[in-house]
Amino acid sequence: MIAFVGLVIGVVAGLVLQPTVPVSLQPYLPIAVVAALDALFGGLRAKLDGMFDDRVFLVSFLSNVVVAALIVFLGDQLGVGSQLSTAVVVVLGIRIFSNAAAIRRHIFKA
Amino acid sequence: MTLLAEVMNHPLDPGYAEAARARELGTRGRPTVPGRTVALLLAAALGLVTVVAVQSLRAPSPSIVEARNVLQQQITERQDRADALSRSIATTSAEVNALQSQALAEQSPSLLATVQDDTVASGAVAVSGPGITVTVADASDAVADDGAVDPDRRVQDSDLQNVVNALWAAGAEAVAINGQRLTSTTAIRSAGSAILVDFVGLASPYHVQAIGDPDTLRSTFAASNAADQLKVLGESYGLESSVATEKHLDLDGGGPSTLQYAKPLG
Repeated sequence: MIAFVGLVIGVVAGLVLQPTVPVSLQPYLPIAVVAALDALFGGLRAKLDGMFDDRVFLVSFLSNVVVAALIVFLGDQLGVGSQLSTAVVVVLGIRIFSNAAAIRRHIFKA
Repeated sequence: MTLLAEVMNHPLDPGYAEAARARELGTRGRPTVPGRTVALLLAAALGLVTVVAVQSLRAPSPSIVEARNVLQQQITERQDRADALSRSIATTSAEVNALQSQALAEQSPSLLATVQDDTVASGAVAVSGPGITVTVADASDAVADDGAVDPDRRVQDSDLQNVVNALWAAGAEAVAINGQRLTSTTAIRSAGSAILVDFVGLASPYHVQAIGDPDTLRSTFAASNAADQLKVLGESYGLESSVATEKHLDLDGGGPSTLQYAKPLG
């Protein structure tokens, strides 16, 4: 619950303050958003499964974003940035799909 | 395929299951106040980061917009400049012609007559008279609904060249395509998908206007290879073509052609 409240506060603050992102961080944004989506879908599914946990949700969210950014950074340094980004998007994409399917089964029972 | 199987079958973070088990067993302590505060702050930070990332990804980069505007401005400016220059060419050449005629009229009327005949024949000045118009157009389905262009169903530069050649052969004295007068240095060619006449891009339908005796032009053109070719093109590719007799045609002049290297003999 507290995680959800905190998220809402953060989203509202972002919409109101409209801070600008430094150019050096721009390449990490798409992957960070995909990682955030993965964590959100995971959290939603856990909620529907009746085993949501604030701490697990926040830690998975934070580690998802950080690891995704780290992979892109490493990839850029090694010259395989776009391939690694694709790998991250594929893996997280599959997870998002599976979790979305589980959520769908919960809601529509089908 | 362990990785894919893992991702497909256990998409949910195993931490959730563990936490749930710990809660059931009661081995997990009650959340403390500092713990909750940290969680709240962390969640707020994550929400902020995510929404900021989404916003900056959605907004078009200001530098791109700026570059586009600059380019757009440059295009308009140069177009205006080109228009102004071509207007000044037209007025200056009219002035030159007037001065030339004036000077020659006093000194050598016979030379003036020769010059006038030559400028008319070379297509430099505007002329009018009876003639015919041959209209050739792309097939109506040349551009599909999805924007794909079928080049076979469009008029090609060679089609127009054939029509123009047939008109000259039929005795045309002056020819223009969509208002572009054909002079002694005019080429009809294609650049990409556009047809250029005297370096001006034209679009379908193409009106080829020819001044001459309308009856001769019409009958000779109808008997020419170009007319047969247009018929075949119409049957196989759907190109549309028609011939009309005109009592009065006004053809613009092509302007004086500037020869940089060719010098008269003697």
